[in-house]
Amino acid sequence: MNDKCENINGTVLEIQRMSTEDGPGIRTTVFMKGCTLKCSWCHNPESISFKQELQWIKTDCIECGICIDLCPSKALSFKDNDVIIDREKCKICNICSKECPTGALELIGSKWNVENLVEELLKDRAYFEKSAGGVTISGGEPAMQPDFVVEVLKKLKKQGIHVALDSCGMSSEESFIKILPHVDLVLFDIKEIDSVKHKEFTGSSNEQILSNLKFVDNYIKNHKDSKSLWIRTPIIPDATATENNILGITKFLSENRIEYDRWELCSFNNLCNDKYVRLNIDWEFKNYHLFDSKTMDRLLAVAKENSSDSKNIIWTGSVKTEVEDFTSETKKSEFVDYCKITSVGD
Amino acid sequence: MEKSPMEFKIKEPEVLSDRIKWLRDYYFSGTKRNWNNEFTSWTTGTDWDIQYEELTFYIVPETYPFFQTFRSSMKQSAQKVDFPKWFWTGSIVERKAWFLNEVVVNHLPKEVLPGDLIAGSKFNIMTSMCWNKSEAKKRDSFVYGKNGSRASIKKFHDHGYGNAGATSGHLIPGYDRILEIGWKGVYKELESFYDKLTDSEKSGEKGAQLNAMKRVAKMPKELAKKYSLLCNNLADLEKDQSRKEELLQMAVNLKKVPWNAPTTFWEAVQALWMTHMLVMSDENYPGPGVSFGRFDQYLYPFWKKSIENGMDREFSKEILKTFWIHANTAYDAFIRVGGNQGITAGYGQLITLSGIGENGEDLTNDLTYVILEVIDEMSPILEPKPSIRIHRNTPDKLYDVMISMISSSQGAPFLLNFDERSMAGMMNESKNGKLQKLINKENVYNYCPVGCLENTMTGNDRSGTVDVNLNLLKAVELTLTNGRDMNIFIDPITGKSEKIKQDGPKTGDPTKFSTWEQFKKAYITQTEFIVKKIVELYEKSESIRAEFVPTPYLSCLVKGCAEKATDITKGGAEISFVTIEGVTYGTTVDSLLAIKYLVFDEKLCTMEELVTALRANWEGYEILQARAKNRAPKYGRDDNYADEMGKFVMDLWTGETWKYKTKSTNRQFRPGMLSWNYWVGDGFILAASADGRKKGNFLSNAICPTNGADTNGPTSNTNSVGKVLGGKSENGDWNEFNNSLPNGASHTITFSPSLIRDDEHKDKFKSYLKGYVENGGTALQINVLDSAMLIDAQNHPQNYKHLLVRVTGYNAYFTSIGRELQNEIIARVSHEKF
Repeated sequence: MNDKCENINGTVLEIQRMSTEDGPGIRTTVFMKGCTLKCSWCHNPESISFKQELQWIKTDCIECGICIDLCPSKALSFKDNDVIIDREKCKICNICSKECPTGALELIGSKWNVENLVEELLKDRAYFEKSAGGVTISGGEPAMQPDFVVEVLKKLKKQGIHVALDSCGMSSEESFIKILPHVDLVLFDIKEIDSVKHKEFTGSSNEQILSNLKFVDNYIKNHKDSKSLWIRTPIIPDATATENNILGITKFLSENRIEYDRWELCSFNNLCNDKYVRLNIDWEFKNYHLFDSKTMDRLLAVAKENSSDSKNIIWTGSVKTEVEDFTSETKKSEFVDYCKITSVGD
Repeated sequence: MEKSPMEFKIKEPEVLSDRIKWLRDYYFSGTKRNWNNEFTSWTTGTDWDIQYEELTFYIVPETYPFFQTFRSSMKQSAQKVDFPKWFWTGSIVERKAWFLNEVVVNHLPKEVLPGDLIAGSKFNIMTSMCWNKSEAKKRDSFVYGKNGSRASIKKFHDHGYGNAGATSGHLIPGYDRILEIGWKGVYKELESFYDKLTDSEKSGEKGAQLNAMKRVAKMPKELAKKYSLLCNNLADLEKDQSRKEELLQMAVNLKKVPWNAPTTFWEAVQALWMTHMLVMSDENYPGPGVSFGRFDQYLYPFWKKSIENGMDREFSKEILKTFWIHANTAYDAFIRVGGNQGITAGYGQLITLSGIGENGEDLTNDLTYVILEVIDEMSPILEPKPSIRIHRNTPDKLYDVMISMISSSQGAPFLLNFDERSMAGMMNESKNGKLQKLINKENVYNYCPVGCLENTMTGNDRSGTVDVNLNLLKAVELTLTNGRDMNIFIDPITGKSEKIKQDGPKTGDPTKFSTWEQFKKAYITQTEFIVKKIVELYEKSESIRAEFVPTPYLSCLVKGCAEKATDITKGGAEISFVTIEGVTYGTTVDSLLAIKYLVFDEKLCTMEELVTALRANWEGYEILQARAKNRAPKYGRDDNYADEMGKFVMDLWTGETWKYKTKSTNRQFRPGMLSWNYWVGDGFILAASADGRKKGNFLSNAICPTNGADTNGPTSNTNSVGKVLGGKSENGDWNEFNNSLPNGASHTITFSPSLIRDDEHKDKFKSYLKGYVENGGTALQINVLDSAMLIDAQNHPQNYKHLLVRVTGYNAYFTSIGRELQNEIIARVSHEKF
């Protein structure tokens, strides 16, 4: 049986070492490719499609033209110093990205087998042990590759590694049933409480997500000694960043007696703009800046005032930093975008 | 004044008393000061006399064009000292001892700055070499002859091999013994060693050495006496009662120490400073790596006792802060000569804090925290450089204090030295150097770093930690060219070009190699050649120093010299290694990986094409260059395949290093990795390399991966470093830890400020450091920087005078280093992944 399982391949978007934003301690986060939601603000747009995708990074390109000559599908061309990918024609054969001398053409998403991935994930074991950290399986939506994920989780658990599942919540109950026995922590997203808005923002209504949360919460309650739950809410300008939304989520959590160790309000950041450019997508949030800390404090206060569990609610992420301008005599303060932070996984 | 929107906050010193604030501000007023510690020069008055000994500057290539200028200007400004009748009948070391003592005690002005609590101000001197005419002639022929040391070092450096020269400092004198027995005790020991000599030995070299040492062993006493009188005089004139009492107490302290062993903390610090500053006088060089060792350990009993007897804790910090100011006055030596490329930052009087004890316990004490407060309150300031020793049992409290200091500065105002990995290196040296009696499981915990991060034992060890700097990459170049330089050398000053010669061994035409194994074999031969070549080069300056440039005062402070009646420059120290510092390691490993990938594994080009591309400095070969840069494997990503190549290079060159000893002084060579600023400067000398680097771009720094190669973040970078040092195994050098670099290896990582932005993340950072203990190297410099801030500092240097950056384990004021190095630091910071 084991042999068979080890032959399962997963499509992995990225492996991030020394991740400090996806659960407790120092972690290695595996981003699985493919998501069930299409959030308009998504920080990892390349994670949405389940298929491998070709991307071209302008700044890395030396315009050698090798890719254009090599492409058997004639899917690539030059236009105004840009390599244009005809995504209809591209068969993702990987010839161009393998030959690209700079890596400007890159195939997003790589196939991993269980054994190799686990070996890679164990490399930072020393740091996991010192920090009570571990591995987080994130996405995309990891629950959409349940068999692969379960095999990876089993192997990691066998090695005594703390593992977390970071889920957008939009998946079948069956996949949670498969995965939950093998995780120590679930990071579960509730983005928007109003189902109509949820559909508008993410392409799906939220009933399934809310029902899954109740299921996950119930499961964890039954295994209280060994498992825990964190809730995460991305705070997005002109979308989820409303007091009503936070109030609504708060009410849902308390009415359903959801027990969480932490609820994070994750502040919007705009570092992913380049990713959209590379995928030829005009991102509707490209002109938005970081929040200031007052906005985040205000939303946090709304959540805290209406929860019994207020000490477990925090906001995370980067905000505009208020820096004193000491050369000016008026001592006026000005804001600068001072955002150096790992983007929060959605 | 030009105004800029000052967007970034530079750390300012805080909570300083008026006294310390004044002294600190006065120090930083630099050339505007009326008082300074600039070199003064002293001569016997002979035509052939010199003061400036260039050997110690062979490791500073930027100074080569100025040797003659320094020599003449020191000579011209020298003041004549009358000497006694016996002078020329004595040996060089006896003359040198007399002359040093005479200048220090009877000629150098004695001054105490307002509010200062420690005496001993002027110590930067250039003394006569005290040679007679025939000695001078003989020495000159060794230095200036056709194959003399000067021509040899210049040729060696011009052709990209690196540099080597017998250099002063870089050791931990036995200061702890002075605090235990005073100079009086040292003097008594010298007498008894002298008495044990046979009559013929007494009238020979050994007797002369001990006589010279006896003379300078009394120098601190004579000097302290003068300062004591000065303090009494100043007290008479002083109107302020509390200051008067301080001066009177200083006078009392100086009557007692450093001749007698101190009893109070104040006396101990006074004894330590005066003993230390005279080492710099003896070596005619301001504190290059003359380090203090376990400062918080040997001072602790004095501090504890004084606190018990009523000394105010804050006053103990005040004493230490004046000590800090004194250590910085070493920089006054060349106060009117502008610094560049980190020359001004090369001093490194290192103090060691905390660390493991005899039984694996942690030795952090109350004084450790007092000293950390002093560092924090005085910061940013360059000297003395603190190194904190970290190990498995380091308490969380110490981590918390360190991380809080890191988050409030622009990076760690200290270096971290990792005990387990470092001790593994010392045990490795004990085995390879056959020194089990002197370095063993029972005493290895007392090792300490000197200078930047170079590990040695304490009080009995000079291991020449910066003397020999080898560009490992040169062997790759010679393999690609069958032993001939890749580029024609053109002298930048004369414009003359040299014909390319068969300098290296013929290892075969590489275009005829059909397998990687053939290339590898040729590379091994070329590495054997460059190690041998640098050993031979070093011999030249080592033998000249041994014969002509004794340092009798320093010899009193290093165990082995009195016992053997042998000067430290002649190999008198009990432990006397010479360290070859491997430079360009990452570039070398990546170049080999690229050659294997491009030519042999993927066959993306022929060897001929690759060599042609390198000769053309990659111009016209941008596609191949891009493949070398972006597609070939790289060291520093925790990729076992690449790191195995790293281990191969490490084992090869360290193995070669252990094959050699100096002929003149019988010192065993040992390996280490520290690159000072060579990885910047030599990037302009070494030909383009197969990893995609163009000539003129920087090389890799010490054990760090090449710039930008560590794309998998800090933990993978750290794991790679630990692996190439030998990682862990069942029977390691020290417990399970292995380390093939006893000297240690400089490792710098720049972190994003967000990593330490709140308590939760500070905790994560702490865990990273605990992981570094397990998986990493011997020494880590942590930078927390922001590239926008650095660019603003380049454009508005006036706003960033105190902005300290830390490069290769040494600290420098950002605005005082060269533009190239500035740009390099910015490139490093900008590269960091969000």
